[in-house]
Amino acid sequence: MSVPLDPARPLTATGGNLRRRRRVDQTVRGIATLAALVAVAILVIVIVTVASNGASQLSISFLTKDPTGVLGAAGGGIASAIVGSAMIVAVATAMALPLGVLIAIYLTEFSKPRTARPIRLALDLLNGLPSIVIAVFVFGLLVEGHQQTGFAASFALAIIMVPLIARTTQEMLRLVPQELRDASHALGISRWRTIVGIVLPSALGGILTGMVLAVARAAGETAPMLLLSSIFGVGTTINIFGTALPNIPYIIFSDSESGFPSDHARAWGAALVLIAFILVGNLTARAMLARQRRRIMSR
Amino acid sequence: MSTANENTADGTPVEAGDLRPHFHQELAALEVQALGGLDLVLEQLDRTLEALAHQDVSLARMVIADDDRIDGRYLEIHQGILSLLARQTPVAGDLRLVASLLHLIMHVERMGDQCVNIAKLIPLSGHEPPVRRDVLELLGTMGSLTRAEVAHCKVAFQERDLPAAIDLIRQDGEINTLNREIFKAALAAGEDPDTREWATYMVLVARAIERIADNAVDIGEQVAFVVTGLFQEFSDTYRPAIRTGMQA
Amino acid sequence: MDTSQPEADASGAPPLAPLAITTREGPPTTATEVVFELRDLGVYYGRTLAVDGVSMKVYKNVITAMIGPSGCGKSTVVRTLNRMNDSVPGFRVTGEALYHDNDIYGPGVDPVEVRRRIGMVFQRPNPFPKSIYDNVAWAPRILGMKSGLDERVEKALRGAALWDEVKDRLKGSALGLSGGQQQRLCIARSIAIEPDVLLLDEPCSALDPIATASVEELMQDLKRTYTLVIVTHNMQQAARVAERTAFFSLDVSNGRRAGVLIEYDDTEKLFTRPNDKRTEDYVTGRFG
Repeated sequence: MSVPLDPARPLTATGGNLRRRRRVDQTVRGIATLAALVAVAILVIVIVTVASNGASQLSISFLTKDPTGVLGAAGGGIASAIVGSAMIVAVATAMALPLGVLIAIYLTEFSKPRTARPIRLALDLLNGLPSIVIAVFVFGLLVEGHQQTGFAASFALAIIMVPLIARTTQEMLRLVPQELRDASHALGISRWRTIVGIVLPSALGGILTGMVLAVARAAGETAPMLLLSSIFGVGTTINIFGTALPNIPYIIFSDSESGFPSDHARAWGAALVLIAFILVGNLTARAMLARQRRRIMSR
Repeated sequence: MSTANENTADGTPVEAGDLRPHFHQELAALEVQALGGLDLVLEQLDRTLEALAHQDVSLARMVIADDDRIDGRYLEIHQGILSLLARQTPVAGDLRLVASLLHLIMHVERMGDQCVNIAKLIPLSGHEPPVRRDVLELLGTMGSLTRAEVAHCKVAFQERDLPAAIDLIRQDGEINTLNREIFKAALAAGEDPDTREWATYMVLVARAIERIADNAVDIGEQVAFVVTGLFQEFSDTYRPAIRTGMQA
Repeated sequence: MDTSQPEADASGAPPLAPLAITTREGPPTTATEVVFELRDLGVYYGRTLAVDGVSMKVYKNVITAMIGPSGCGKSTVVRTLNRMNDSVPGFRVTGEALYHDNDIYGPGVDPVEVRRRIGMVFQRPNPFPKSIYDNVAWAPRILGMKSGLDERVEKALRGAALWDEVKDRLKGSALGLSGGQQQRLCIARSIAIEPDVLLLDEPCSALDPIATASVEELMQDLKRTYTLVIVTHNMQQAARVAERTAFFSLDVSNGRRAGVLIEYDDTEKLFTRPNDKRTEDYVTGRFG
């Protein structure tokens, strides 16, 4: 620079650059804002559509009565599907949660980098498997030659949930500072005792959050329901090992395929229930996660 | 951290790798100032010896007045040492150097005081005093030997020269011998009361010169302390049972 | 070290003293029991030599400090003393590390048992996210010291000079304490299981000057019951706190970079007239 910059000069921009710069800035900013609004808009449109179409169905009797079993008849509810979904997801969680947590514990606490990488890769691939493929696999394993059961559906959901739970749990375990483990070891406490007594409790909130997210995802999975739990009776049943259970995704599917408008209406109602459940689940999980992060980071 | 060939702002060269160049420069400057006190003493000593040789009372008065400069130098360095200790926490060799500088300026101040004592004795011996040539000659020799010893102790300290410091003992021994000779000569000064009075004053002068030489030896002890880390009295029978320095 | 000299020659001038041979370790001014003895201890991480040829004795009820520039192996050596390095990949020990004459790395030695007796306090205070009471009581409970837990907790908190400040809020979260209090809580936690030795790895680095002073004062009390080894970057802290100080530095000869023990002696000696020029250069700041 041949002429040194005079720091005391007034702070206005040189030349006509300023106006052009401002215009470019504002254009880009406008486009970006627009894109963000579009994303939000899509979500809002979906929710509003489902809500407006399904709201008319919502009533106590809708949620507590079984379907009438008569094609095209009005009245009745989706109680059996709610109970059935709840049972299937609960059993799936009971299988996926311990497995996912143990896998995460192995990855963060015990494995060497060399062994961890292939396992993490396997989890990622499992996460990416289309749910229909998983459903077909479970079909061949548990249903072919026997019959559909709610348990088979749970099994397939568990396969879908394990990578999710393992991933979130791993993140939360990683967030637990190494110095806490060091402190415990320095007191003459063994490895597993440290994990059970210090690491897991610290990560507990996050682990539960991961579980809630996985549950919210599994509740809406349709392909496994189609293949594994679609042939069932009208009434509410809890015989998960003996027979297929009614479930919400399948109800939405079959009712929307039917020719009767009353069935369509029921499909919208069930969709609204499902969306509400997933939204509440997601928001709760997010709030829990934020609180967990704040607690661990407050040092 | 400094690298080779880097200088500080005032251009003085800095040792490569020195992490505390400002502190070490401050310490070095303090040492120069303290040794400068020895230069002041040499000046005073030269003037005192000349005043003594020529019975120059006005020169003696100058010596007395100029002692303020030595006192001032003492206070400056004392304050500098306190400041360094408070701010820089010197350790090891640096700490020993600071401690020795404290001793050094005390000896400088005492040497200055002895010059004043001599200067005060000169007018007392009266105008045109009866002079004994032999005593005056002995005093002259004693004076120049002491002057040399003070100059040597300054160099020994500056160079951290332990053998040179130890040699001060030998020089001091010669001066002590001269002191005894002057005493004997003064005793044999004769019956004349004026002569006897003058001779007694000269004994006091000789003693003052001998004290200056002792202080120079004490400075030599400080050299040994800085170099070896151990403090030992330099007596006539001094045998250094100490290492000469650190293992590199 | 001093060696005696021959008599002066005939001229009366005293001869120059030859350079004395010094061992790396000077004897302590008061003889005491040896807690640790390291004999030619070396530490490898895989192929890399981190620390080489360390030989020194740590004495009972004495505070021993380890000082030296960054990366010269002080923390490595200290962590080797309670087998905290076991989980580091490629960690390997040569030579001997004796604790009360037992080789810490001998066959059949249980690292958990080693750490039971040799505790550690870390650079950043790391209390568990539990209550103050549970922080101190958790390990004793697991280790089977279930009776008299309340008394044990109080004794530990008193020993760490923390009792008066927290006695009314033992159930409160430990994370609500100040930095200095948290570090003293970590000390209380360590002494609650009645160890023999306490290793402190730069315990005051993360603390402000007042908290630092309180921990340093505490160490003077603690040394009456325990043996303390402290690693510190702060030379002045070593000078204030420790009776014995070991100076480590990097040896970069022969193309290697390994931490070595340069000099180990009474602190006063190290800071007034060190034997080794490298020590002198380090403590006076003539070389980092």
